[in-house]
Amino acid sequence: MSKDIFNEMVDGPSHRPEYQSVLDWIEKNGVDGLQSRRAEAEALFRKIGITFAVYGEGGDPDRLIPFDMVPRIFNAAEWQIVESGSIQRARALNAFIADVYGKQEILRAGIVPEKMVTSNPAYLKHIHGFRPPRDVWAHIIGVDLVRTGKDEFFVLEDNCRTPSGVSYVLQNREVMSRMFPELFWGGKIRPVDGYGDILAEAMQSVAPRNCNGVPTMALLTPGHYNSAYFEHSYLADLMGIELVEGADLFVDNDKVYMRTTRGPEQVDVIYRRIDDDFLDPSLFRKDSYIGVAGIFQAMKAGNVTVVNTPGTGIVDDKAMYTYVPDMIRFYLGEEPIIPNVQTFKCSEDSDLRYVLDNIADLVVKEVHGSGGYGMLVGPTSSKSEITEFTERLKNNPENYIAQPTLSLSAVPVLTENGLSPRHVDLRPFVVSGATTRMVPSGLSRVAMVEGSLVVNSSQGGGVKDTWVFYEDKV
Amino acid sequence: MLSRTAEGLFWMARYVERMDNVARLLDAGRRMDNLPHQGSTHQSEWISIVIASGASSTFPLPLEDSDRASVARHLIRDMENPSSIASCIEAARMNAKAIRNAITAELWEAINDTRIGLREQLMQENDKFSLSAFLDWVRERAGLTMGRIDSTLLRDDGYRFIELGKWFERADATARMLDVKYHVLLPKVTDVGGGIDYLQWVQILRAANSAMAFRHLYRRSVDPKGVVDLLVLNEKSPRSLITALTEIRIAFDKLADDVPLQRQMTERVARAEQKLRATSTDEIFETGLHDWLTAFITETNDTALAVSDAFGFGPEQVSVTAEASQ
Repeated sequence: MSKDIFNEMVDGPSHRPEYQSVLDWIEKNGVDGLQSRRAEAEALFRKIGITFAVYGEGGDPDRLIPFDMVPRIFNAAEWQIVESGSIQRARALNAFIADVYGKQEILRAGIVPEKMVTSNPAYLKHIHGFRPPRDVWAHIIGVDLVRTGKDEFFVLEDNCRTPSGVSYVLQNREVMSRMFPELFWGGKIRPVDGYGDILAEAMQSVAPRNCNGVPTMALLTPGHYNSAYFEHSYLADLMGIELVEGADLFVDNDKVYMRTTRGPEQVDVIYRRIDDDFLDPSLFRKDSYIGVAGIFQAMKAGNVTVVNTPGTGIVDDKAMYTYVPDMIRFYLGEEPIIPNVQTFKCSEDSDLRYVLDNIADLVVKEVHGSGGYGMLVGPTSSKSEITEFTERLKNNPENYIAQPTLSLSAVPVLTENGLSPRHVDLRPFVVSGATTRMVPSGLSRVAMVEGSLVVNSSQGGGVKDTWVFYEDKV
Repeated sequence: MLSRTAEGLFWMARYVERMDNVARLLDAGRRMDNLPHQGSTHQSEWISIVIASGASSTFPLPLEDSDRASVARHLIRDMENPSSIASCIEAARMNAKAIRNAITAELWEAINDTRIGLREQLMQENDKFSLSAFLDWVRERAGLTMGRIDSTLLRDDGYRFIELGKWFERADATARMLDVKYHVLLPKVTDVGGGIDYLQWVQILRAANSAMAFRHLYRRSVDPKGVVDLLVLNEKSPRSLITALTEIRIAFDKLADDVPLQRQMTERVARAEQKLRATSTDEIFETGLHDWLTAFITETNDTALAVSDAFGFGPEQVSVTAEASQ
């Protein structure tokens, strides 16, 4: 691995003190010891039932996401950057979504071009003028970050629809504390136990205006064939709320009810883990069997809160992403704590020309793509792949953006031949309701192939436990 | 049935339940071990686990020298501790063996296999021994044994004595688990994402396998009052004191004969249940949780002793019962 890649475990000729206890453990037990724990950890994951199905891959629907045993560690100062930067971003994104579906001041100020909004497929016209409780739109945001140096972080993308992965954060921690109890004994690692309470409190705090008393809440899942079903059931369990499918709900007189053995029970807050398009078959996809007809009207009538609010996908695409730093300045009057990655919009001629000339050095992505599909990583692609992608790009330039290939930081992972550095990113989760909060951890996704920059689990990436140390602890 | 058989069933069930509960207590200790602590070690957490398990008189070191290794050893392996997991398994098996003809083969095998498995578990070398995996195993074995009791035993008097043993033990264990928090010092860490106090209550709930149930039942974040309500007064909880006292009363109703001492006991058990039902969490906190729990534990143990006396197997071998069963 080349020298200019930031290895998070290394500091000059030696290693960072935060990793001392982990390295001591490996020194004492050997890589073999670590390998044998890996088998135990996999057995634990299977027992708990954490599996992940990859769309379109076929094969075992209950396969495990590769779990790497070496934790990733942030000290308090580093976490301060991640936390304040992510919360700042979440506040600006929520302010922007509220504005776009309201007064549209940012469009009138000419900061974001109007057509970026109105021609965006994720823009929901019906929602215009609607105000969700507390004006919170994206209650759960996953901010994808990468690191390139000691204090250098960049935001890669924002996930404001239904970001997934938090169950891995919590379960990875559970498994690690069982496998390596001695590493936890120092009381240095900030716990992640509060996530269920934080999420449930946020949801309660945005109960609809017609709800009196403690709101009844539910988590709406597409069902057990969904690749994130484990997470849906786990989060529902964590919050002690009902896990429902579309068929369990119905709308009557603009109110949403669950079908229960004791008759219909009104639901006040719904954490939905299905996309906008499928949410309300009376408005969108008529063929959706997983949604609830009439739920939009119930929401507008102030009888139910949908979490995240429909329409938040407007900020998820990679073209809108380029405007987030401007949103932070416009709504908060602050400078971004964590900057964006430089992004070329292929819809603009000068940018397109630059991208075509330098495609071998760039990462090119579809504007509305996700999950690592439909992207080209120039430096690691073959000539024929580049040629093929160039054609697609020329045919439909609006559909693409390009970014320089960042030298993503690397963390050690366990391989057959001992520890070896692999590229990594981080998805912390920001939860907004009456307050905006985070648990001190995030999903660290690692590329399991040497040199690869693709960390998505749908592309074979793995995950790690992410530790944040208390202040003054190393 | 023979008083001796009743005694064997009662204590077999108590020890099976106790091994499960000691494992849960140790698991609470394991989880609190990961949190920030007062001073340089988790000493106060471990002391609280020793006290809560009722092992302070057998613990071989001064209590203030408690640490992870010494407490785990004493609560898992030490045969000098009558409540260590090894002692519980041994005692459950001894009792089962003595009344082998009063239980099913499947139940006997579950208990006997547990003792065989324990040796293998404890023979693992120190660096291979995983506390969390061992505690999982103990709970699995206790669950299997309880399941065999449920699915294979006749619902006769013998079964009621098993029920009595199980529920007296659980009442005692839940009260002790709640008391853990009393002995734990709070570290001086201010920002702990909700506070260390909160996190310690969460670990206690998790040890009682009730963390998920809490939100489901109360629809709010974990707080001391809620935890006490759940584990003391909530009838939906399988581990609450009120559930235990209710089950004791039901078992007793079906069991008690028209013997004066047993009639008195029926009334006493019903009174204890009524009294708890009339209690509120406010009253408990006014008394002071620790004092209230201590009184509850003492009273419940007195009742358990009186029950055994009434059926002729307690420390006071009461002649009335002996005559009645002849």
